[in-house]
Amino acid sequence: MPREAEPSLNERAFVIQALQEGQRLDGRALDQFRKLELKFGDQYGVADVTLGKTRVLAKVSAEVTAPYTDRPFDGIFTITTELSPMASPAFEVNRPTETEVLLSRLLEKTVRRSNALDLESLCLVAGQKCWSVRVDLHVLSHDGNLIDASCLAVVAALRHFRKPDTSIEGDVVTIYTPAEREPVPLSWLHSPFCVTFSFYGDNGEIMLADANLLEEQLRVASCTISLNKHGEICQVAKLGGTAVEAISLIQCASAAVSKVKEFSTLVDLKLADDIKRRDKGGLMAELSAENER
Amino acid sequence: MATQAERVFVLPGDEIPASLIPSHPKRALKLGPGLRHMPPSELIPTVAGELVTDHKKNSIWVEYNGGRRPGPEYYYVTITDYNPNAILPQLAFEMATKKTRPQLTHGALVYARVCLANRHMDPELECVSPTTGKADGLGPLVGGMLYDISLGMARRLLMRKSVEEGKVAVLEELGSAGLAFETAVGRNGKLWVNSESVKTVLIVGRAVKETDDDKLGVEQQKKLVRKLIKEMS
Repeated sequence: MPREAEPSLNERAFVIQALQEGQRLDGRALDQFRKLELKFGDQYGVADVTLGKTRVLAKVSAEVTAPYTDRPFDGIFTITTELSPMASPAFEVNRPTETEVLLSRLLEKTVRRSNALDLESLCLVAGQKCWSVRVDLHVLSHDGNLIDASCLAVVAALRHFRKPDTSIEGDVVTIYTPAEREPVPLSWLHSPFCVTFSFYGDNGEIMLADANLLEEQLRVASCTISLNKHGEICQVAKLGGTAVEAISLIQCASAAVSKVKEFSTLVDLKLADDIKRRDKGGLMAELSAENER
Repeated sequence: MATQAERVFVLPGDEIPASLIPSHPKRALKLGPGLRHMPPSELIPTVAGELVTDHKKNSIWVEYNGGRRPGPEYYYVTITDYNPNAILPQLAFEMATKKTRPQLTHGALVYARVCLANRHMDPELECVSPTTGKADGLGPLVGGMLYDISLGMARRLLMRKSVEEGKVAVLEELGSAGLAFETAVGRNGKLWVNSESVKTVLIVGRAVKETDDDKLGVEQQKKLVRKLIKEMS
């Protein structure tokens, strides 16, 4: 398996020394994120997230299948990640690296297991027909902090997605094309986001948010906290590395809360913009088959 | 193909006459190193050497020298992430002899020139001019910081008149602003910056990277330098 070229000793020594003087290579503050951009595609369910030079694209698709036999009332929801060789020479097709395994595992824990998507709402006919929603995540450029960017892309894409409207009469399920009835959004319960912190120094006393690739390669430990804007933590992952003080973890968590609120506002804002862009002539309200609650 | 007292020597791509290929009534033919089977029935040598057959074992192979490189004589150097490693002979440094060669550890940086770049071979580097035996600034780089820049930026910085032709004035501006630093630019898109103070290295690195990323003109570069110096002081 090709490995990423490790940073040289000079880079290692310099980055650590600069961090001890409170400086980052690109002049950011220690807790500052790079420029974050979120764009939606022309199709429903396509989100393109750029974080500095990191870029990920998420695409959501849905099809009707039979549910799992042990879960007849639930729909199916899967997230697949693909780190293509385009993003880094260390990635190969069909051979997941550790980065990829950890990424898909974290997304799974953050989005799927926190019940962000109501699986029961995907059921059409119990035990026979259900929606299978699938998110494909493509990493187009890897410059560190894939986890935060990917999670944001997945959540934004799922919230942007519309599945075809259906009606059930007896045992007959009708799926309407977009021309017949306006597609409907997924039943979304809450929006979890990941915030990753990197630790440096002998005891992990220096804490960085949104590390770039070089900083990621040099960190002694990292911690990913997933939570929603209400401050409800979905998971905390600190996989190996140097042990850090409990105080640092608490600091991480409180920094994560404010960051997640920013993420949440950004996604809400961009979604509203996108709806406005699509709603030409205000026809959307007439086309919608949903009832006002 | 030369035949000499029953010893057959082959070159890559030679035809092997069917009379030389052993045929055993029961055993399948075994191919050894240096031979490739081109279906349906052609055998092609891939290396130059002596063709050897064993009729008992029904096998055929090519004996050749090479494929082995003495390990400790070379350093392996990453030029970019996308290329196979280059080799740097341990004696290709200024004043290097078997006893006084530089001791580089894993992860050390060197400023080297590519002296051999053939297709299908690992490139070879040197840190010394072969004609004069002088280093001319090449050699191990100690301290400092390495920045990734675009290949175009590296070429512009390496131009003889980088300000007039390359339109890069940041380094000159930073120098005239009173910062003391040294740089080394590599064609592989690497910029090494060293200075006594960490802040100077950071300013130089950021100035060059922002010039590169935002495609700044000479005037904008001057403005950027003033801004950065104000920010960091």
